[in-house]
Formats: sequence, structure tokens, C-alpha cells
Amino acid sequence: MQITGNYHDGKTTASLQAQLAVVPDQPGTVRVSFLSTTNPLSSSLDLLFSDLKIASRLGNIPREISFGDGQLFVTDDNDAVDDLIRRYSGSASRLHRLETNIPLILFSVVFTIMLVWAGVVYGIPASAKAIAFNLPGFTSEKLGSSLSVLDRTVFEVSALPASRQKEIRELIAPYLGYYQQLDPKLVFRSGMQANALALPSGEIVLTDDFVNLVKNDQELLAVFFHEMGHLQHRHIVRRALQGTMLSLMIVFITGDVDSFDLITGLPTLILDLSYSREFEREADVFALEQLARFGISPRHFAAVMARLEDYYTEQSKKSERADQQTLQSDGLSAKRSVSDFFSSHPATEDRIELILQYQKNRSENGLKGQTK
Amino acid sequence: MENNRAIQNQLNFEFRGNGMEYFKIWIVNILLTILTLGIYSAWATVRNRRYFYSNTVLDNTSFSYLADPINILKARVIAVSAFIVYSVVSGLSPVAGIAILLVLLLLFPYFLNKSLAFNHRMSAYKNIQFRFSASYKQAFMVMYVWPLLGMLTLGILYPLVFVKVNEYMVKNSAYGTSKFDFNAGYKDYGIIFLIMIGVGLLFGAIVWAISVFVPALAFSVPVLMAVIYFGLIVYFMVETSNLFYRSTILGEHGFTANLTMAGLAKVIITNAFFILITLGLYLPAAKVRMAKYMCSCLVMNAAGSLDTHAAAEKENISALGEQFGEVFDFGM
Repeated sequence: MQITGNYHDGKTTASLQAQLAVVPDQPGTVRVSFLSTTNPLSSSLDLLFSDLKIASRLGNIPREISFGDGQLFVTDDNDAVDDLIRRYSGSASRLHRLETNIPLILFSVVFTIMLVWAGVVYGIPASAKAIAFNLPGFTSEKLGSSLSVLDRTVFEVSALPASRQKEIRELIAPYLGYYQQLDPKLVFRSGMQANALALPSGEIVLTDDFVNLVKNDQELLAVFFHEMGHLQHRHIVRRALQGTMLSLMIVFITGDVDSFDLITGLPTLILDLSYSREFEREADVFALEQLARFGISPRHFAAVMARLEDYYTEQSKKSERADQQTLQSDGLSAKRSVSDFFSSHPATEDRIELILQYQKNRSENGLKGQTK
Repeated sequence: MENNRAIQNQLNFEFRGNGMEYFKIWIVNILLTILTLGIYSAWATVRNRRYFYSNTVLDNTSFSYLADPINILKARVIAVSAFIVYSVVSGLSPVAGIAILLVLLLLFPYFLNKSLAFNHRMSAYKNIQFRFSASYKQAFMVMYVWPLLGMLTLGILYPLVFVKVNEYMVKNSAYGTSKFDFNAGYKDYGIIFLIMIGVGLLFGAIVWAISVFVPALAFSVPVLMAVIYFGLIVYFMVETSNLFYRSTILGEHGFTANLTMAGLAKVIITNAFFILITLGLYLPAAKVRMAKYMCSCLVMNAAGSLDTHAAAEKENISALGEQFGEVFDFGM
């Protein structure tokens, strides 16, 4: 058995054509013979097989066999090297056999897809929820955007008359008591178009455009309850945790940080947005429960949702920037022109559908209840 | 420009990997990593890197990656433990956390040097290893001082940041006993930045004009903006890569890269598309395609033979620096 390859002496880049073969009458010995006649050293080297360090087989890459002080024999003949190994030590290239085993590869594909799917759909949301509700440290302002940062960047002092602010504070005040454990504080700001935001510190920010957009107190309360839903469910903290876990999962599975770039970034963004839409639905349900609790009709919620929709359609006609703003803000805003896939909020139609469904269920239950 | 060098040999780089072949290796590595709860990830990393190094061929000889997975595993365990200690301590006492962070920030330049030294040492071509050795001060400057100056001057010094970072990377590298050199300056990078800003403003103005004067087309504005943004990123990648390679010198030898916007954009767009529709399974094939494209654009202008480079003294460098770099994630 002859293996043809190249020999490097480890001192310079020069290489010599060589052959590696088993020496028949000396057990455990292999011989590297040089084909070139100009070799200054000698015509061959005898080596013990046990002194050879043979790289594991990987795909079709050249096989490197090193020995002595940095000497190297390289060959493309992977099969012959495997035969050589088998001759002395039983089995060769176990990993390579796994990496070319079609049933195992198919199993790996199915297993990995299922595991990732389970992780993304169940594992990550569930563990983020557990962490957010069990570790008090995570509720501090250091996660998520705090009001002072927003004040420096996007917000300005509210231009609403003091009387209007006072009116709204008085409208909300009776309800704040019900959510004392969330420590909510009402804040007025201008900027960020018509928006309402819940910050992890408990601040509920209402923007001037939003206050001017609502037609009555019930609509304003509906949106207030939606934001309270975000606080109640610790959505900002959970979203930050889920984003981190998602990145960690990609790094863990693909095994290197390098692959975390533009290409893996896009699916991460899409998943992050789908988590966000789930949170919006959760906050909507919370708002509907609270409206029911205080005897306010959910149609006000549907009405304000539709109005925000019209507002943003109008805005996007005015400037393309509305697009980014709705995507970035966590507030209650809706947008249909971006497809559902790339939006941080569910489509308004779906949200209104949810409200109507809720209303219908409740009236059915209500009728049953009245027959007692 | 006239070239007065001796007879030049144009040696092409070539990537011989195969998307399907690499996919099989990649997916089995993932399975083994999951089944061993992450321990196999050190072996997976080495196998991934070996695949890419050994399939990169210059002058009919492949590169090789030599690291021992056990060293990488040890370093990973230490780095992850350090990260856990840091997380727990900073959770219990924010002040202690900040103190540790400051110490780490001071240590990062050291780890960066060690990490590059390890990776160079573990890379070889024709059985001669690469080397990297830089001073703490040099690493500190490119990690903190130059980027800060770039920001403080509102980007005016930003081209210089690129020059300094590449000088740090290239001039401190060696192949055996032959040192690399880098000869691009502020002006070369400045022109790329100026063209980007100019073209960006021009197209931005056109899109703005469309949205104002042709309201019927306003719906296309976000798409146009995305296209312009993507185009500028590709332009930047193409120009900086080409500049990087043509400015890199190894002794008598030079390099040429001829990436094109159309070529690179095609690879990025089709890769992204296939990755999306295959839910990420195309990722390994995408990496192979990108490597094939990059290698196909790269030429070494060798002056004479490559067979005269000599090996340097042996030195031992642990994998620890590299792993600290990866876990605490400071990218260059």
C-alpha cells in the first residue's frame, strides 16, 4: 500500500513529493520515501506508526500526518490513510462516519428543527416569564428604556393645557389604586406621534397627539388598561430576556459567534417581533378584562383602535418615517401597510376581531348568568 | 501605476468546499453539541474551522487549522465560569459588578492580543504557522482610543480608525519569519466614506423628491430607502475589502481583490433568501458560497516562489484569550 503526498520539513515552506508505505518486514514501522532525486537529506525516513499524529478525517480536506519536530506529510488519499489506521488500531474516522451517515443526518435535521421550534415557541417564552416574575432584580429600570433616556431623545414637554392634564389624572386616579403593586405613574409628553407607552419603571406615558386623538374618557381608559396589561405581565423585561435567550440559543446551536451576523439577525428580528405581537394580544386581553370589570363597553376599545389605525394611515401618507416609529415604539399603535410578519403589533383588524369575539363570548356568558 | 517589481506570479485563491458536504458535518456537529449539553461545541468549532481553512487553496496547497479541541474546551469552561461569577456578583452588588467590569475592560486589550496570537499560531500554510504579536498599548489604542476619537470628531477621524485597526491587525502579523505590512492611509478610507455620504445624500434627496412631488409613488419610499441602505453597505464592504487586500504586503508579495457590488450583492441576497425559506438550514451552504465568492476574487501577486519562507521560534499560547474574547463579545 502506497500513499502519495507531500512532505514538509517544518523549517521552510518548501515541499517534496513523497510516498508513505508500510514496511513489510518490520511491524509497526512506516516509511516515507522521497520521489525527488534532489532531496538533500536522505532518500527515505523510517517512522513508528505510534509516533504519527494523524488528523481526523473531515469532508474531503487533505489529510495531515505530523511527526517528529514539526514534520508533515499531507495527502489527498483519505481512504488509504483510513486503511493504514485500521491496520494498526481497529477503527478509523468515527466522526467522519457519523458525518456521512445519511439516516443520522436526517435524524439530526428533524431533531434540531423540533428542538429549536419547541425552544422558540415554548421554552424561551416560559423561562423568560419565570425569570421575570421570580427575580425581583430584573424589574429594575436598567432593562428597557427609561424615561430619562426617552426625554433626551424623542420626547419634549407636553403642550397640553394644565387643566386637561388635571382632568385626565382625575379620570385615571380612581383606577390607580387597583394596581398599586405595579406602582403606575401617569406622565404626559409630546413627540412620538399618537402613542401610549408603559415603561418598566411603572410610568405610563401618554403623548399629546394621542390625548387629542381620543374622543371620550372610555377610549382613554381602554388604552390605559392596555398599557397596564404590559406592566402587569412585565412585557418589556420579558421581551429583553427573550431576545437575549434567542441570541444565546443561536450561538449555542451553531457553535460559534461568527455566524451571528446580518443573515441570522433577520430571523432573530422576525421572532422578536412575533413575541412582541403575542405581548400585544396579552395586553389587549388584559384591557378587555379590566373594561369588563369596571363596566365599560369594549366597543370603545375597538373605536380607539380603529381611530389609531386611520391616524397612522394618514401619517404614513404624510411621511415614510411613521413606518419606523410604529415599529420601534412599544406603545399602542397599529399599522397595516407593513405585513403582519414584520410588525411589532398584530394587525388592527385582528385586534378588533379579538374585541368583538370577547364581547360576544361575554354577552353569551352574561345571558347564561342572568338565568340563575 | 507602474509596477517595478520582479516577475510576478499571479496565484489564485480557491475555495474547494461543498455546500452539501459541509451541511452534513454542520448538522451532525449540532446534534452532538446538543446531546453533550454543549461540551462537544469545542470539537464542533475546530471541525468547522478546519473545514474552511483546509478547503481554502492557494498555489495548489491548502491552509490548515491546528487547534486542539481540548484546549478550546478548557478555555471555554474558564471563560464561561468567569462570566457566571461576574453575573452573580453584579447581581448581588452592582458596585462590585462595575469594579469587575472595569478590570475586565482593562484586560480586554490583553485578551485581544492573546486571542489573535492563538488564532494566528493555529493557522498554517505549507506547514509554516502564522504569528501575531502586539503590545498592550497598541491593542488599547485600537479598542478604545481611536474609536473614541472618531466619535468625538463627529466621524472626521473615522477613516483613520479603520487605518489604525487594520495596521494593528496586519503589521503585527507574520507568516513564519516574514512580516506583513499595510500601506493604506487616511485618504484611501476617507474617499470611500465621502463617496458613501455623497451617494447616500443624493439618493436620499431623490427619494424625498419622489415622496413630495409624486405622492402616488409614496408607498415605494420605505422599499427604496431599504434598497439604498443595502446598496451603501455592499459598496462599503466591497471597497474596504478591495482596499484592505491591495494594501496588504507580505515581504515581496502583494495581493489583489476584485470584489464587485453586483457579485457580492447577488451572494448576500440569494443566501438570505435561501436561509429564510429553509428556516436556517441553508446557513452552512451559504457560508460555503460566501467563501467561494471571496476566494474567487482574491489573487496573490507572488514575486518568485513561495517556498522560501522560514518557520519562526516555537512559543506556547493558550486558547484562553480567544475564549474570553468570544464570551464577553468584543468584536473587531
